[in-house]
Amino acid sequence: MISRFTYFKPHNLNEAVQYLEKEENAFVLAGGTDLMILLRRNLINAEHILDIKALPEMDLFNFVDGAGLTIGASVVVNRVVDSEVVSAKYPALHQAAASLASFQLRNRATVVGNICNASPGADLPPALLVYDAVVNITGPQGTRQVPLNEFFTGVKRTVLQRGELVVSVQLPEPGAGDKSVYLRQARLRGHDLATVGIACRLKPDGKVAIGIGAVAPTPKRLFALEDKINERGISKETIEWAAQEIREHIHPITDVRSSAQYRLQIASVLLKRGLLSLIGKEE
Amino acid sequence: MDKECSMYKEHVESGKRKVTLSLTVNGRHVVRDVDPNMTLLHFLRDNLKLIGTKEACGEGECGACTVIMNGKAVTSCIILAVEAEGAQITTVEGLAKDGKLSILQEEFISQDALQCGFCTPGFLMSTRALLDNNPNPTDEEIIEALSGNLCRCTGYIPILKAVKRTIERERKESGF
Repeated sequence: MISRFTYFKPHNLNEAVQYLEKEENAFVLAGGTDLMILLRRNLINAEHILDIKALPEMDLFNFVDGAGLTIGASVVVNRVVDSEVVSAKYPALHQAAASLASFQLRNRATVVGNICNASPGADLPPALLVYDAVVNITGPQGTRQVPLNEFFTGVKRTVLQRGELVVSVQLPEPGAGDKSVYLRQARLRGHDLATVGIACRLKPDGKVAIGIGAVAPTPKRLFALEDKINERGISKETIEWAAQEIREHIHPITDVRSSAQYRLQIASVLLKRGLLSLIGKEE
Repeated sequence: MDKECSMYKEHVESGKRKVTLSLTVNGRHVVRDVDPNMTLLHFLRDNLKLIGTKEACGEGECGACTVIMNGKAVTSCIILAVEAEGAQITTVEGLAKDGKLSILQEEFISQDALQCGFCTPGFLMSTRALLDNNPNPTDEEIIEALSGNLCRCTGYIPILKAVKRTIERERKESGF
């Protein structure tokens, strides 16, 4: 790699923030499964690498009744996959996590890193979005909370300002009887980026939430579509209708993985399949 | 392009101040000063001369560089050496004991689970990490644990057989 950097692994969050604020071309390292690729392909010129894995706040991974789930920035994806509480209360998140990259990469890749990398086709954001995830950010001006659906600003871009870093992502507790599912289409069964990834959630009050990746510059919650579905009320007929209507709510592009037309089609199929499974009806 | 290739094969000094790294590799305590931008893979190969761990894609896609770090299978090509401070690392060289191949290695041979052999160290380490954590995995669990290892000549059936035979033999040896 061409980047020549210094390596800093602080044990204190303030030190980390000060370092990020002070140094030019500083990059945050958690699992490194995205950052190291950029470094090895010489796509970025890093002068400073800040390793956050010794910060105690970043290692937090717990579920509190009433408050919900908190996932710290150094929590790796396989910890989420193995978590019983995630499987029980946030099934779409479990499924998205289990489908991310390969087993070895999930031993390093972090949930928060998957958000911060802000790839349009990332697997975890659709699932986190349907749970109204909130991103906890700390920086020179103190801390702030940003809903995940406002966190992404473009391809590989986020609201993070210089000196800021994400400490954790927080998911409110779903009510009893809450259901969700994550479905993805890829070119092959193994390790591949999603062509389209979709998370569907059916809340106990019968309202749906839909999060989708790889059909727009950022992962998205389809609020307008959700409203229309919720107005009609969830049923087999509504789902048939929504599977067509979704085409008006997404703007996929053609790339190496798929044509835009195929993405429209597969988004329709996955939405139908996902919602039908949530109301207990298969295709 | 040539320049880029040579950089992938060996580490080029960055000129930045070195970091003292202390870790355990195959049960041996090691202390070395390393360049901050050296990968764990290059540290193992260039500094420790443990060349059993292979570099193929260099991007964590193929699993040839898999080692066990603190009990987990990881791709050493996309980990910085400095990230391994204090870690316990096992490489393929750590599998044989007293000059005798491990059961896992013997079964890869008996089942012809390799041809060119370049991916084999990675498969062995992913399997070892799996069996250390779960001595009795299902076929699905085996396939999942090996999902990040690519083999381009033998195919996966002999590898799966070798893993299953290893499970049986290790179970017998442990008396269960």
